[in-house]
Amino acid sequence: MTKPLLELKNLWGGYPPIPVFRDVSLTLQTGETVGLFGPNGHGKTTLLRTIAGLQDPWDGGVYFEGQRLNEEGAMRARTSAHVNYDLFRRRRIRAVDAVKAGLIYVMQGNLLFPEMTVEEVLAIAPVAAQGRPGVAEMRARLDDLFPRLAERKTSKIRYLSGGERQMVSIAVGLLAMPRLLMLDEPTLGLSPKLRRELSVAVHKIRETGVPLIVVDQNLEFLTSLVDRLILFDHGAITHELPAAEMPDHATLMRMMFGEGAA
Amino acid sequence: MSFDTFMFVLTSGVLLGGLYALLATGLAVVWTTLQVFNFAHGTFVALGAYIAWQVAQTTTGALGYLFATAISMIAMFGIGFALHFILIKPFEKTNNVVLLAVITTLAGATIIENAILLGWGPRDKQITPPITGVIEVFGANINLFDLVILGVSLLALAALAVFLKISRIGRSMRAVAQNREAAELMGLNVSMLFAVTLGLAAAAAALAGIFVGSLRFMAPTFGNDPLMKALVVVILGGVARFSSPIYAAFVVGIAEAFSTFFLGLYWTPAVLFAMMIAVLLVKPEGLFGHRSKTL
Ligand SMILES: Nc1ncnc2c1ncn2[C@@H]1O[C@H](COP(=O)(O)OP(=O)(O)OP(=O)(O)O)[C@@H](O)[C@H]1O
Ligand SMILES: [Mg+2]
Repeated sequence: MTKPLLELKNLWGGYPPIPVFRDVSLTLQTGETVGLFGPNGHGKTTLLRTIAGLQDPWDGGVYFEGQRLNEEGAMRARTSAHVNYDLFRRRRIRAVDAVKAGLIYVMQGNLLFPEMTVEEVLAIAPVAAQGRPGVAEMRARLDDLFPRLAERKTSKIRYLSGGERQMVSIAVGLLAMPRLLMLDEPTLGLSPKLRRELSVAVHKIRETGVPLIVVDQNLEFLTSLVDRLILFDHGAITHELPAAEMPDHATLMRMMFGEGAA
Repeated sequence: MSFDTFMFVLTSGVLLGGLYALLATGLAVVWTTLQVFNFAHGTFVALGAYIAWQVAQTTTGALGYLFATAISMIAMFGIGFALHFILIKPFEKTNNVVLLAVITTLAGATIIENAILLGWGPRDKQITPPITGVIEVFGANINLFDLVILGVSLLALAALAVFLKISRIGRSMRAVAQNREAAELMGLNVSMLFAVTLGLAAAAAALAGIFVGSLRFMAPTFGNDPLMKALVVVILGGVARFSSPIYAAFVVGIAEAFSTFFLGLYWTPAVLFAMMIAVLLVKPEGLFGHRSKTL
């Protein structure tokens, strides 16, 4: 039996002392693309940040291709008026391990590096590939994926529009030669035209065979893209819907927000 | 004030400016990248100078001076690199690293200062300048060595700027400074880049220290005064760009030279601080720029 690409086992996390997601278990097979859908503020970003190694899980396990990324055991939430336990606490998961394994996260609303030019950012991005092959081909493919970026090569990131910055963020993620790419709200806050451009690009990325986890508020986009849709509510997975059994929009909304919605 | 005196005061101000620029840039790069203020920077100046002095005892001439400078800068790079893991890294998870790093770098400063005292004793020392002689510029006599110091300081700063701009490591340092999480998600080794930053700042401080130690006598505490001036420079100029503290360094250097000439040595620090406060009242972000954090 082949190992699943990503496996979350009873994962807990949040911003101490407030838990944000609880007991999340999820298995993702190689080649699969899943969507994550849920109301604002229910912990989708927190979950992805935890998997990517930006913040410590409280309990449970993150496995990527069978390899455990976080430290075993529950995080001790010790506090004391006299001892600063922060000084002794070690990171329980590290972003660099996730990156080495090929688990790449594109942050929500990533500001990137405001004072660097697009060209400079794309020049250092392949560090994240950690020797995985194909960077040159990927670099060439980016011009086709995001033609706008070629025109903005010499602009600093802080002069880019939100959509353009999103494109650079995704491009940076792709140059890491991901084994799994996690996109956090790639179309957030964009004009309809840019949103279309971005969704076309994400579809193209999926066609090239990169497995994706996509968080988005646009259900049409998600349902057209993914093999499986995961509904996320109050920090827990409530439904997992395979593409073949995808209900219509109104039913989805009812599942999400209860009777009377939609 | 005769033209000759004017030129003399001006050139000594410009020379000071070059040295302050080296020091302030090191402070600013560490501040914008690690987000902590390094109070050990002044002792980097002293330690660098003493190491060079030690090496220079076994060599002679301009080549020997070059050799001593190189050894000292390499050693100080290593020391700065190592100090990151001792003084700053262990505390980066705490909520108020900035405050803790004030204390730990002050502790580092005290330890280094006393180590110098133990190792080399309190007696004044001087590194023999490799070049003597004067040349005439616009009718004023200027020490050749002063010109060399100014030129080398500016060259070192230019080299650092180019390094940050085009090299892989330099670009990664800027990336980490501008967005730490995004840099981590690229797999950049944040600790290593922080350590390199501190190492480069220490090497630059050593270079400044060697020059100061060739112009004046050096004592274990002789880095304190330049550190204070560099602090004024960084606050006055802001850190919006790489060049902001450099411009401010020349403003401070020239102001110091004229203030010393007209008002005397004892009034000068007060004048500089008054100037800094006046600027902060009008332009809180510093003279040269409005962004708070870049490289
Ligand atoms: N840095 C933080 N410190 C404390 N609480 C936070 C922090 N960031 C987010 N939260 C809280 O965690 C909860 C989950 O936020 P999260 O950003 O993960 O939600 P989300 O599902 O991604 O929402 P959105 O759709 O708006 O992006 C929210 O209640 C939020 O207020
Ligand atoms: Mg979110």
